[in-house]
Amino acid sequence: MSITALTASGQQIRSLNKSPRLFLSVMTWELRRFAASRLFWFQALGLFGFLLLLTWALHSPEGIDAVPVGNGVGGGASLSGSVAGTSAGGLLHTLPTVLTVLVLLLPFVTADGVTRDLQRRTHELLMTIPLPTWAYVWGRYLAGLVISLGLALLLLVSLLGMGWLLHLTIAEYPAPEIGTVLLLWTGMVLSATILVSSVGFALSTLLPRLSTLVKAVVMTAWLVGALVIPLSQHGNSALPPPSWYINWDPTSRITARELLSAYAINPNPTTTNETQFQQLILSVENKVPDLAGWFAPHLLLAGASLLLVLIAALAFKRFRDVLN
Amino acid sequence: MELTIERLSKRYGQQWALHQLSLRCEPGMLGLVGPNGAGKTTLMRMIATLLEPTEGRILWNGQDIHTHGQALRQVLGYLPQDFGIYPEFTGRQFLRYLAAMKGLPSELLNWRVDEVMEVANLEQAADRKLPTYSGGMKQRIGIAQALLNDPELLIVDEPTAGLDPAERVRFRTLLASLTRNRIVLLSTHIISDVEAVANRLVILQEGRVLVDTRPEALLAKTAGSVWSVTVDQATALQLQESYQVSTMVTQMNGITLRLVSATRPHEAAVVVDPSLEEAYLLATSRQTIRA
Repeated sequence: MSITALTASGQQIRSLNKSPRLFLSVMTWELRRFAASRLFWFQALGLFGFLLLLTWALHSPEGIDAVPVGNGVGGGASLSGSVAGTSAGGLLHTLPTVLTVLVLLLPFVTADGVTRDLQRRTHELLMTIPLPTWAYVWGRYLAGLVISLGLALLLLVSLLGMGWLLHLTIAEYPAPEIGTVLLLWTGMVLSATILVSSVGFALSTLLPRLSTLVKAVVMTAWLVGALVIPLSQHGNSALPPPSWYINWDPTSRITARELLSAYAINPNPTTTNETQFQQLILSVENKVPDLAGWFAPHLLLAGASLLLVLIAALAFKRFRDVLN
Repeated sequence: MELTIERLSKRYGQQWALHQLSLRCEPGMLGLVGPNGAGKTTLMRMIATLLEPTEGRILWNGQDIHTHGQALRQVLGYLPQDFGIYPEFTGRQFLRYLAAMKGLPSELLNWRVDEVMEVANLEQAADRKLPTYSGGMKQRIGIAQALLNDPELLIVDEPTAGLDPAERVRFRTLLASLTRNRIVLLSTHIISDVEAVANRLVILQEGRVLVDTRPEALLAKTAGSVWSVTVDQATALQLQESYQVSTMVTQMNGITLRLVSATRPHEAAVVVDPSLEEAYLLATSRQTIRA
């Protein structure tokens, strides 16, 4: 072992960078740490492949059969067509399902932003350095959020990519309308990603000893909102969701179901063959969804979750007996 | 630079881990020893701002670290007893990461990391992933990270536990080279480590300071209280029950014992020079007898 004396001047070394961008440094290094892990890239690649597969499997979420009426053709041969999974109408069917897959992964990305240091016993190193608490907590949060948004972007790319692939390979499958897909992705996926990432991170940071439970609670709550509540109301008109919930449903399942009423296909008397019927479906399925009512509440939910992160950052204590 | 600990206490439930402990430290190496549960790690963690005292206060250059913790952290290097690593990182990346977290200016960061790697003799392993490091290398990267900000106060908690003898000697030689112009607090239960490098020895027992002196002063105080005697097995067993035995070696002509005792334990016993370990045993056994 070398016994070389340290040559640096202490003052020079300790002319520490007090830049408010210190939290960006925390975030950047946390991202570098993730990037240095092969497992992380395999997991991201696996998710992307699964999302592509899911988009392909759901490319025809709603088959429509109709019997033309009126103009003397009533009682003729029935017409059939289907809604494209990556059209606006199709996305209202499929997006809540795809979103659920994404959301079930997010707590594992973000909830351990701070608690990971406790589990790995690196917190004693980090808590004894002059890194401000707020920079540590916000830096770790932002790193988790960036990764979560990256996964949400993978979802967007899988929708658009598979949509284009289907358009190129299946006759009459419409190309995805990028603007419409982006709108739905922003209102439903982006807002949910921020919401779940923030809630998972904040609760785990506030309750570091219960981080596994926090993940389980976040996932269970989402499954209840996205599957249990909608299923319990399926075909049960006696139990309509409260009107406010339609707009504020973070899972977007019930929001999407209500929006779908604007996408009903009603063949008119001039629709006499399948080509005309498919044209009719196309004109309806690519309608831009009505943003009034639900879009702003979804973004507000995401914004409100940032307040929870702020509370967690303010309440965070560096002391070991609190953390343990 | 000065570290002052005033009537410091820490309680876990009904148990006092530290009780009314006072110390004043100036540049040099202070070896903190004591049996398991004496409160060494609790004291280290409180000085490192990881634990809050139940009572009392710790002052760094006259400022209470409870209210001026950041000022202490600026000049603190801390090697915990048991610390984790980021398995994704190489040794160099790990140090760069911690240097960035310590806020080292970016123009100095890489140079400083290279420098502490050289001090810890880790240049050859700098680009290896941390999980491939041996126990000794892990301890050395621990001390390297503690040195990144050229600390005025360096706290090392049981740094040689689990190291092989050669690594242990190398590690404490490194520590000894770092004592100039800084306060080094070395907590250990390996007395020979303290004997080799510390110029002040504090023995903790049951959360209190039992002895606070220079190692040579403690040795001088112990002179005449360590005995050597070679006896048969039955006598050896009797002596073992009545006296504190520091070593016991089986030889052709019987069993040679080194005994720590204020009085002659056996008519054949002869006084020998004490080791610091025996001085420690005498000090702690006196306390036990008093208790």
